[in-house]
Parts: sequence; C-alpha cells; structure tokens
Amino acid sequence: MEDLQEIKKRFVDDLDAAGTSVDLQQLKVKYLGKKGILTAMLKLLSTVPAEERPAYGKLMNELKTFIERESEGKESGIRDAERRSKIASEAIDITLPGKYTKTGRLHPISTVLKEIIDIFGSMGFDTEVGPEVELDYYNFEALNIPKDHPARDMQDTFYISDEVILRTHTSPVQIRTMERKKPPLRFIAPGKVYRCDADVSHTPMFHQVEGLVVDTDISFSDLKGVLEIFVHLMFSKNTPVRFRPSFFPFTEPSAEVDIGCILCGGAGCRVCKGTGWIEVLGAGMVNPRVFEMVGYDPELFTGFAFGMGVERITMLKYSIDDIRMYYENDIRFLRQF
Amino acid sequence: MRVPLEWLKEFVDFSINTDDLILKLTMVGLEVEGVEKMFDDTVLEVNVTPNRPDCLSILGIAREVSALLNIPVKFPECGIREEGGPSVVAVEIADEDLCYRYAGRDIKGVTIGDSPDWMKKRIEKCGMRPINNVVDITNYVLLEMGHPLHAFDLDTLRGSRIRVARSGCRTIKTLDGTDRALPEDALLIWDGERPVAVAGVMGGGETEVKEKTRNIFLESACFLPSSIRRTSRVLGLKTESSYRFERGTDIELLEKALDRAVSLMAFHAGGKVSKKVDVYPRSFPPAGIQVRYDRVNRVLGTLVPRDEMIDIVQRLGMRAEKGPKEFVAIPPSYRADIQKEIDVIEEIARFHGFDRIPVTVPKIPISKEAKDTRYHLMAKVKESFRSAGFTEVINYSFMDPRMLDTLNIDENDRRRRTLTLKNPINEEESRLRTTLVPSLIQNLLHNVSMGSRDLRLFEISRVFIDEGGALPDEDHHLGALYFREKTPSLWKEETPDFYVVKGALQSLLDDLRVGDYLFHPSSEPFLHPGKSGDISVSGRKIGFLGVLHPDIVAGLSLRVSPQDILVVEMDLDALLASVREGVKYSPLPRYPFIDRDIALVVNESLPAAAIMEHLRAYPTELIEDISLFDFYKGKNIPEGKKSLAFTLRYRAKDRTLTDSEIEELHGKLSAYITAQTGGVVRGT
Repeated sequence: MEDLQEIKKRFVDDLDAAGTSVDLQQLKVKYLGKKGILTAMLKLLSTVPAEERPAYGKLMNELKTFIERESEGKESGIRDAERRSKIASEAIDITLPGKYTKTGRLHPISTVLKEIIDIFGSMGFDTEVGPEVELDYYNFEALNIPKDHPARDMQDTFYISDEVILRTHTSPVQIRTMERKKPPLRFIAPGKVYRCDADVSHTPMFHQVEGLVVDTDISFSDLKGVLEIFVHLMFSKNTPVRFRPSFFPFTEPSAEVDIGCILCGGAGCRVCKGTGWIEVLGAGMVNPRVFEMVGYDPELFTGFAFGMGVERITMLKYSIDDIRMYYENDIRFLRQF
Repeated sequence: MRVPLEWLKEFVDFSINTDDLILKLTMVGLEVEGVEKMFDDTVLEVNVTPNRPDCLSILGIAREVSALLNIPVKFPECGIREEGGPSVVAVEIADEDLCYRYAGRDIKGVTIGDSPDWMKKRIEKCGMRPINNVVDITNYVLLEMGHPLHAFDLDTLRGSRIRVARSGCRTIKTLDGTDRALPEDALLIWDGERPVAVAGVMGGGETEVKEKTRNIFLESACFLPSSIRRTSRVLGLKTESSYRFERGTDIELLEKALDRAVSLMAFHAGGKVSKKVDVYPRSFPPAGIQVRYDRVNRVLGTLVPRDEMIDIVQRLGMRAEKGPKEFVAIPPSYRADIQKEIDVIEEIARFHGFDRIPVTVPKIPISKEAKDTRYHLMAKVKESFRSAGFTEVINYSFMDPRMLDTLNIDENDRRRRTLTLKNPINEEESRLRTTLVPSLIQNLLHNVSMGSRDLRLFEISRVFIDEGGALPDEDHHLGALYFREKTPSLWKEETPDFYVVKGALQSLLDDLRVGDYLFHPSSEPFLHPGKSGDISVSGRKIGFLGVLHPDIVAGLSLRVSPQDILVVEMDLDALLASVREGVKYSPLPRYPFIDRDIALVVNESLPAAAIMEHLRAYPTELIEDISLFDFYKGKNIPEGKKSLAFTLRYRAKDRTLTDSEIEELHGKLSAYITAQTGGVVRGT
C-alpha cells in the first residue's frame, strides 16, 4: 500500500522534471508501458490477500487515472509551447524589399489624350481619324482658307510638295468625315499635327483634339454647354469658363475659350500673363461655306467645331513649364507620370 | 497693332479706366495681349485677327470703342488749299483686275526735315522708326487711318507718268537697296519708262524721297489683296503696307488718307498741294445683306430682340433697313469682311456679348456608330507593354536620312521609300519616319548620357511609306527598346534579356488572343544574326525582335559596359487585324489527366520549337498539353548537345485513362521523338 503512495510521489517528481514531449513520452512508457511500473504492480495484485484486493485494486486504478490525466495535461502544454517556438523560429525580415517588375509609365500626353477622349466618349462623341500627311485641299482650301489668304500666316506649314503637306491642325478630319457621312454627326478627331516653328514655346509636332457636332438645330449655346462640361470634367467643377470672339476661317462666329487660371486661381501669375485667364480651346459655329464645300445644305444644317492643344492642357494639369520636355523622352521625366 | 491711349482718345473720348477698356476690347474679339508704359502714355498691344484689317489703325480701334461705348468717333479735320493747280502726273491703270483705284497729289516745294516731337513719339509708340517729315507723315497716316501711302520724289518720275501694270519678268531695286527678281504677275507701279515701286509692298530706290527732295507725288491706291500677298511672299518681303493691303484696305477711305497726309505735309514740310488725280474705273456699290431675325437666334441659341440687332449693326456703321421677318444690312466700305448673313450674325453675337449667350446641351440622337474597337485595342497594347515594365515615349515623326545607312537597310527595302520635307527644321529631321528604330536609339543615347542604365521604352506611332500615291501609306507601328546593365540585385534574375523581351511580346500576343504566331530567325541587317527573330502571324511577317548588331552598337559610342540592346518593331495594323474577337466557351474536362515527363538530349542546333512541332504532330488525341520545363547544357551532357525536358499531359474526353494505357503510349512517343530528332532519352 505504501508502495502506491511512493510511486505517486515519484511520478509527480518525474513529471515536474519532464521538459519536452520526448521526456513525457519516456515518462509514460516508464509508468504505463507494457514493462512499466504500474503494469508490474498490476501483475502483483494476485499476491495481495483476497479481502484487501478490491480496495487495493481501486487505489491502483485511481493512480493509473491520475498518471494518465496528469501526463496528458502536461503534454498538451508542452506541445503548444513547442509549436509556438517552432513558428517563432520561422520569422523572416519582412522589411527586405519585395521582388517585382517595375511597371512602365504612359507618356503624359497619352494619358491626357485618353482622358479627353473618354470625357467626350461619355458625352456620346465618336472618334474619327485622318491622315497626318494631308492634301492642301483638306488642310486649307476646304476649310475656307484659300491660297494667298492671310489666314495661312496663322500656321507655318511643312511642305512635301506644293499640294502635299503635314497637316497643321486636325480640322481636315472634319472635311473628310463630312464627305463620307451625313448628319447627325458628333465626333472628335485626336492626333498629331505639325508646324514648322521650334522655339521655347513651340515644338514642330504636337497633338490636337478636334471636335464636330452637326445636326438640324445646333446653336452657339450648345457649343458653350458642351465645352463648359468638358472643362469642368477635365479640370474641376469650379473652373470658370469664358468665351470671347476670335477668328478662324472655318467657323463663324468663332470663339477662344479661356479658363480661369488654375495656377493662381485668377489672381494673375506668370502662366496667365497676369490676366487670370488661360486660353485652352478654339471653337465656333461651322462656317456655311465649309458646309457648301462638303455638299451639306447650310440652310438645313448648323453645327459647331472646336479644337484644343493636348500639350497645353497637359502642361496645366501637371504644372509642366517647358513644352520641350515632352519630346526629349527623358526617363526621369516620363517616370513622374 | 500697338495702340497709344492718348492717340486713341483723340478719336473717341472715352472715360472708362484702362482695365475696363482692356476687358471690353478683349470680349469683343480685340484681344489685348500686352500693356506697356511709354513716354508717359499707356500703349496697348492688340491682337487683330486676319479678318479685321479695318482694325489695323487707331481709327479702326476707335470705331470699335465707339460702338462698344456708344459714343461718336471724332474725325480729324483736314483742310487743304489746293494752290498747286492740277497734278502734273498722268495716271493710268493698265490692269484693272489688280488695281481698283489709284489716287494722288503733288506737293511742290517741300523742305525735308525732322518731324515734330509729338509725331515722332506716336510713331515710336507704335513700333516704327521716325525718318523724315514726309516719310513719317505717310507712316503716321498709315497708323492713324490704316491706309498705306507712298511718297515718290516727283522729279525722278520720268515722263510725269504713273502706270499700274503687271511686271513681265524683271528685277527692281527696292527702298532697302536690294535688287529683287519679280514674279511675272507681280503688280508694279511704272513711270514713263521703268518700274518705280512694287505695288503695295515697297517703293523703288531711285524714286524714293531723299533729303534734297523738293517735289513729291503722294500715292494712295487700292489693290487686289491676294495679288499683293503673292508678290510679298515670293519676294520674301513683308512690310507694314503689304500687311494691310493683303488683308484688304478701304477703297473709300484712301481719299481721306491722302488728304490727311497732304494737309499734314503742307503744314510740316511746306509746299503747295495740287488737285487730286483719281482713277477709279469701277465702283463697288455696297451690297445689302438679308438677315433673318429668327435665323440669328437659331444660330446663336438666343432671344436677342429685333431692336437690339438693329442697334448693334447701326453702331457698327452699317445701314439697316427693317422688314417684317428680316432686315437688310449694308456694311460700310471698311468692312469688306461682312458679306453674308452669318457675318452679320457674328457681329450681333460679338456685341450682344458671348457671355450673355445661354448655356445648353445639343439634342442629338444616340450614335449608331459601332464603337471604335481599334482605339481600345491600342490601349490594350499600351497597357500590356506598360505592365511588362516598358515606359511610353513619343518622338517626332522625323528621321535623319543617314540613319537608314547606319542601319544597313537595303536600297530596295520598303523603309527606303521616305518622304522628304521641303522645308525641314534641319537635315537631321528632314525625312518622315519609315521605322521607329532610329528614334528609339536616340532615346537610348539621350538617357544613357543622362546616367540611366535601365531603359525599357516603347512607342506607338505612324510611319510613312511613299508608295507613289498622292498620299503615303500611314501604318501604325509599335517599337520598343530594352537596355539593362547587369547590376548586383537582391533577388536573382537570371532570365537572359532576349527572353525577357520575347516574354513581353508573347504576353501581348496572348492578351490580344493572337494564336497563330511564330518566331523564326531574322535577317534584319541591323540585328545580331544569332540573337534575333522575326515574328509572323498566320505565315506573314509582322515584325522583329533582336539584339542590335554589335557593329552598329560600336558605332553609337555608348560609354557603358558592353551590353545587349534589344529592339522590337511590329506592324500594329497587321497585328490588330489578326486579333481573335469574340470568345466562345468550351466545357471543362470531366475526366482526370495523367502527366508524364520526357527529357531529351539532342544536338544543340536543333530548335526547341522543332521538337515541340514533332510532339504536336504525333497522331493521338490524348495529348492535351506539352510544356517545356527544363533546358540544360554542361556537366553530364556531351559537348554540342543540350537537354530539354517536357511534360506531356494526357487526357481523354470520354473516360478515365489507365496507367498501363499511358505507359504504352508514352513509350511509343519516346521512341517516336528520339527517332525524329536523333536524340536520346536522358536518365533511362
């Protein structure tokens, strides 16, 4: 009987000493295994006097349950600790940089061009294109700019031959499209244009977006509406818009469209030359003579046209102060956008 | 046009402040581009559009201010005492189609000297240089009234005659001392023997007013604008006179300008003024223009009352005859730009105020046009390259013709069919691009010189091929350049550059669902013969990629360690034409697959694509996919050989395959492929 107390005491000591799951496994074998202490004791049960045997057996069972419970309890604690320590040892330096292919950037002109196309797209404008090497007829004459007309001074032209030029504006797409289609028309024509001056504020190639709306009842007030929406979507809802009279041979009345200077908020700065206004668009009602050139009846149809320089809008959008940056294609510049 | 305010006030007595005046002028279309202080005065720089030659004078601006503020224009008095009797000069217009009117007066006994200070200052404020009293007065009147005048030394006019006629072919010494060849149809002013002035452009040196000049003949004429412009352009001679004549001058005002000038001359230079000689063969009665009230408001989208329309046109110097549905506007002689109803509508819009026109949106039916898929595909191409690490560049469409030689491009190559600019900015930019490679190389040189050692660039642009038509072919091309100096990096990247770029292209082709493409060795003369490939889709070459030929790289004098530079160019139109549109769902497989690998040791020169081809050609329907997962040369592989390992995925559509069935098929396939390629199966 005293043996059992002794065994229990030894087990408790051993259990305290067990630090790992391996120790514990050995401990279980030592007490509960086939050759373990309790198994041996059980075999000795027959040597106990018959009247004491039930009580002794009961005590033995209690001891066995005690050992099993205690060692299992300790074992789960040890396993938790071991798993935690294994996980802890797997830690990496998450501050080391990740591996990735740096994505490229789109040219700012490309990005703004897309923005312009998307804005007009949302207003239901189609997109038309035309050749960059163009006939004098489409670039000038059909747009009411005859040869020997002073309006030709407004644009310095690159010549391939007397009749073939690099288009100086996207307006010839108006003519080509009207020759091909009948009203109603509502489209924009984005693209590259060329003028043979290169200085601080001009590059020999730049981008324009032309627009044309023609139907039976289009008015100057519609022109104002469409362009005001455009400015508000392109810049901000609060950008003031101003229309003032100007001259283009292919529109009448013609207008320049100014927006409140977005750099100084209208107070006057270097960019707006102190006026508080910046010119961003040219526009006007399609000159009836242009309709006559393409065989539309100017009594039946009216329309408006507009054009804008993408470089200029991009400059305003990103505060770029040198137009030549666009075509140097310096990666340090391009990666900023 | 420079407008000194004190001069302007002499014509129209306004009291609004300068800022208000600037704003009002700008808002009627006379944009004030600059303001300058000069001699205690304010000078406005007004941008006068080409349709408004009538505003190229103080008087012209005054008329607009007068209309704006509704105050009258004061016209300077010019009392002339015609003491000199009739003009001694006989005037004849030989070419009436080019000269509409020619008037003049003699002034005899003038004393050439300085102009008074006030006149000199006004001339200087307008940006001209004072010369002497007679010349200054012609310039003064030009600035004041917008009509160019020309003073001849009367004593040098041979035969006391003036004849206005075409040139025939000749040269003339102009006032600036240069002998100039004349176009055949140039209009000249002749005396009895010889040309003495290029009409409307510049006078001749031999008849000009000099210090000793005593007698003068002063010309005031009107010419066909396009003729003056043509002559001025051919001569490359642009003067204050030609600038105004080519835009159109006032045929009525020329008389007043003449009188104004001679009265000033008589006063400041002395001399006796003759009667006027005035040849005016045809008159141009002003035509009335019908303007429909409702048309005005329909075009503008306004509700401008009739009375306001009439008031506006009258303030602008037009006569108006009212009718029930329309009125007739008769423009003054100085408004030759007003010819049609729309011209009058524009005037009404200007003075009603653009800012008072309502803001509406057009009512137009929804477009029935098919959406432009091309634009979206282009965007997709850009996006694909951007994600692959390439940054977009935009280059000028120009090219240095010598670049085609640098690139060893054959004389018969399509890229030699360039268009040449007649007036290029410089020789380096004198051709239109037929390939994007030269520009990309320029981009490389620029960026490397700026210190960049990692460049991945792409461009989408048109190229221009002269195929002999009126206009060239304009093809869209995609170009790309890859240059990356190997530097130690934290995480190892071992893919060779060629395959990085090829991967970007394959990813693009995959994105666009172009299935039927092939890469095969390229013969582009500017590429490394062993590290380049042509890309063909459905059997047609659409582009190339490859390492720039070492000889060409050597010529670029790049100051960086030797490094492969990869270039790509593709015909985007051809590529986009082979995009497979529309997706059709195919059912997912219902039975499991079995993977089997095979490693082959073959001759190094045998392309992997050839082996793939053979595998694909094996007659069975059970191979679902073949992929190459290992490429190895070196230890354990004989010299001149390489090992390629493939995974074959077997699957049947209608049943589960058994191991033994695949074992047998794979065995046969191994035997087949070794026979086809002359290789051996590795590791068996």
